[in-house]
Amino acid sequence: MMVSRSGRAEAPPDTPPATGARRRPDPLRLAAGVLVLILLAAGASTDRFLTLDNARAILASTAFVGITAIGATLVMIAGSAVSLAVSQTATVVAMIFLATQPLGLGTSLLLALLCGVTVTAVQGAVIGYWAANPIVLTIAAGFATGGVATWISDGTTVSAEVPRYDVLNSTPLGLPLAVYVLLAVTALAQWTLRRTTAGRQMYLVGENRAAAHAAGLPVGRVTVVAWAFFGACIGLTGVFLASFNTGANSALGGTLTLDAIAAVLAGGTAIAGGRGSALRTLGGALLISIISDVLLLRGYSTGIQILVKGLLVLAVVLTVHLRSVRGRR
Amino acid sequence: MFRTRSRRAGTAAGSLALVLLASACGGADDAGPSASGAPGAAQLKGKTVALVGYGKANSWGAYYNQVFNEQLAATGVRIDDMTSMDPGTQVQKFNQSVAQKPDLIVLAIWDTAAMAVPIKKAKQAGVPVLVVDGRPDPSVQNDVMSVLSDNVKLGEFAAQNIIEGLRGQGRRSGNVIVLTGTKSMLVTQDRMQGFHKVMATAPEYKVVAEEDANWDPTLSGKIAQQLLARFGKDGVQAAYGMADYMALPIVQAAKQAGFPIGGTDGLIVTSSNCFKAGIESIRAGELYGTATEDPGTIAKQTADYTVRFLSGQKPPQSETVKEERVTKATLDQFAEQCSHA
Repeated sequence: MMVSRSGRAEAPPDTPPATGARRRPDPLRLAAGVLVLILLAAGASTDRFLTLDNARAILASTAFVGITAIGATLVMIAGSAVSLAVSQTATVVAMIFLATQPLGLGTSLLLALLCGVTVTAVQGAVIGYWAANPIVLTIAAGFATGGVATWISDGTTVSAEVPRYDVLNSTPLGLPLAVYVLLAVTALAQWTLRRTTAGRQMYLVGENRAAAHAAGLPVGRVTVVAWAFFGACIGLTGVFLASFNTGANSALGGTLTLDAIAAVLAGGTAIAGGRGSALRTLGGALLISIISDVLLLRGYSTGIQILVKGLLVLAVVLTVHLRSVRGRR
Repeated sequence: MFRTRSRRAGTAAGSLALVLLASACGGADDAGPSASGAPGAAQLKGKTVALVGYGKANSWGAYYNQVFNEQLAATGVRIDDMTSMDPGTQVQKFNQSVAQKPDLIVLAIWDTAAMAVPIKKAKQAGVPVLVVDGRPDPSVQNDVMSVLSDNVKLGEFAAQNIIEGLRGQGRRSGNVIVLTGTKSMLVTQDRMQGFHKVMATAPEYKVVAEEDANWDPTLSGKIAQQLLARFGKDGVQAAYGMADYMALPIVQAAKQAGFPIGGTDGLIVTSSNCFKAGIESIRAGELYGTATEDPGTIAKQTADYTVRFLSGQKPPQSETVKEERVTKATLDQFAEQCSHA
C-alpha cells in the first residue's frame, strides 16, 4: 500500500492487496456465506426465531457490547490491538453518571463521557507517543481504574438519589434508545474511517507503524484520536449500563472487555491492525447475538453459548490470518 | 550508559519504596489491631483471625467486611485482611493463612470444590476454620465450623412471592422464567432446591426456562431480553432473578419489550437477596419481593460466633442465619437492613 504524506491510502483500507489470487475464493467471504446459510436454516427451524419480538431482542442485546466494539474497532485498526481495561472504565463511568444525577441529565452525561474519553485517551497517548505495549498498559490501567472504582464506592453499589436517566431506557418505535445510538456510532465510525484524513491514517499506522512514522504521519495524534473515540464509546456503554441496571457496583462491567473484542474479531478486523471496518464489527456483534439467541431458543445452556462464541471467534481469526497470508504472497 | 542504568535503578527503587510506603499506610485501616476496652478485650487481645472472604470490590463483601471489623474492633482481636475477588487467589491466600497459624480462619468460599483440599490441609495443620455464607463441599463439612445463610429458605421465599403475586392477579395458570447465579455453586443449587419445592405446591404455575446468568447483571439483562422474546407477552407471567441486581435488569428488559410490570396483570418479578436498589424497586411497585441474606446480619452473627469460639465457649458446629421474606407488606421492617449494599 502506498503512503502519501497526507495520509491518503491508494487502496480501500479493509481490502487486502490481492495480487495473483483473485480467482481463488476469499475464505472470509466463503466462511461468512456458509455461516449465514447455517444460521438461516437453524433460525427457520427454530420456534419463534423469525418474529418481530425476537428481532427486537437480538438488536437490544447487541447494543451495549456493540457500541463499545465499534470504538474498539478504530483502536484495533490503528494497530493498538485491544484494551483490557474496558469493563473497569465502563464501571467507573457508570458510577460517575449515577452519582452526578442530581446535577441534571445533560451534566451527568457530559461528565461521564468526559471521564471515559480522558481515561482512555491518556492510555492512547502513552501508546501512540511512547509506543507502550497496549496489552501491558491496559492491564495496568484496568487494575488502577478498578481500584479507583472500589476506593470511591467503598465496594457499595452506587445508585442515583434523584434518577433522571429514564429517557435512556426509552424505546422509540419499539426499539431501545441504545440501538439507535449503536447505529449512529457505527455510521460515525465508518464515516471517520472512510472519509476523514484521521481515519485513513489509522489504517496506515495500523498497517505499518514504522513506515507511517517514516512517512511523517502524526502517529501519536492518530492513535490518541482512535482511543478518544473508543473512550467515548465506552462512556456511552457505561451510561446505558447504569441506566439499565439502575445502579453500579464494581462487577457491572462483567465480561464487556472480552465480549467487545470478540465482536470486533468476529467481524473480521485484523488484530494486527490496518484492516477492518465499523460495519464489519456491527455484523460481528449481530452475528454473536444471533447465534446466542438461536442456541438459547433451542434450549442450549449459557456454557454452550459461550463455547460457540469462542469457536466462532477462533474460526474468524484463523480465516483472517489465512487471508492476510495469502494476500502477502 | 552507567549513569542511565543508575538512574533507572534509582527510579525503580524509589517506586518500590513508594509502593511499600503506600501499602503500609493503606493497610492500617483494615488490618491493624482493633480498639480494646469492650467486654472480652483482655481475654481476646493477641488473638488473630484471618479473614479469607469476598473482596471489597463485591458490594456484599464490602459491607460484610466493614461490619465484621467493626463488631470485633472492641475485642482486641487482630484481623488479617486476606480477602480476594477470585477463586484462585483465594486458595493461595487461604494456604498462606494456614502457614501463619492464626487462631481462626473465617472463610467465605468462592469455589466450593477448589477449597475442599485446602480445608483438609488446615485441619491437618490444626488451624480452625469458620465457613460463612455458603456451605462448604460435603466432603469437608465436618472439618469446619459454619455460620451459613439459609439458601434453601431464600429459594422458598422467591417461589412464595411468585405464587402469591400470580394468585393475587387471579391467574389460574402461568409460566415462570428463572435466571440463576452460577449453577455449579452450592448456594445456587440450595436456592433452586427450595424454589422448586415450593413451586411444586402450585402445579398450575410452570417453570419454562432456567438459565445460568452467573451472578452477572449485564448477562442477566441480555438473557432476559431473549427469553421474554422467546415466550412473548402471553407466554411468561413471572420471573425470578436470584439477586436484586439480577432481577432489576429483568424488570428493565421487560419494560423495553413492552411488558406491563407488577400491578393487576403485569409481570411478577422477584429476587432472593436484597440490596438497596431492590428495596427502592419494591417501593416503586416494580419488584414484587426479595429476601434478606443481607451482609450486615450475617457479619454480626459471624463476629459473635468468633468471640464465643475464641473465648472458649464452644459454640455449636453450625449455625444458620434466620432469613426473612421481603415484600411491599414487610418493606418498612427490612428496608434499613437491606440498604447497606
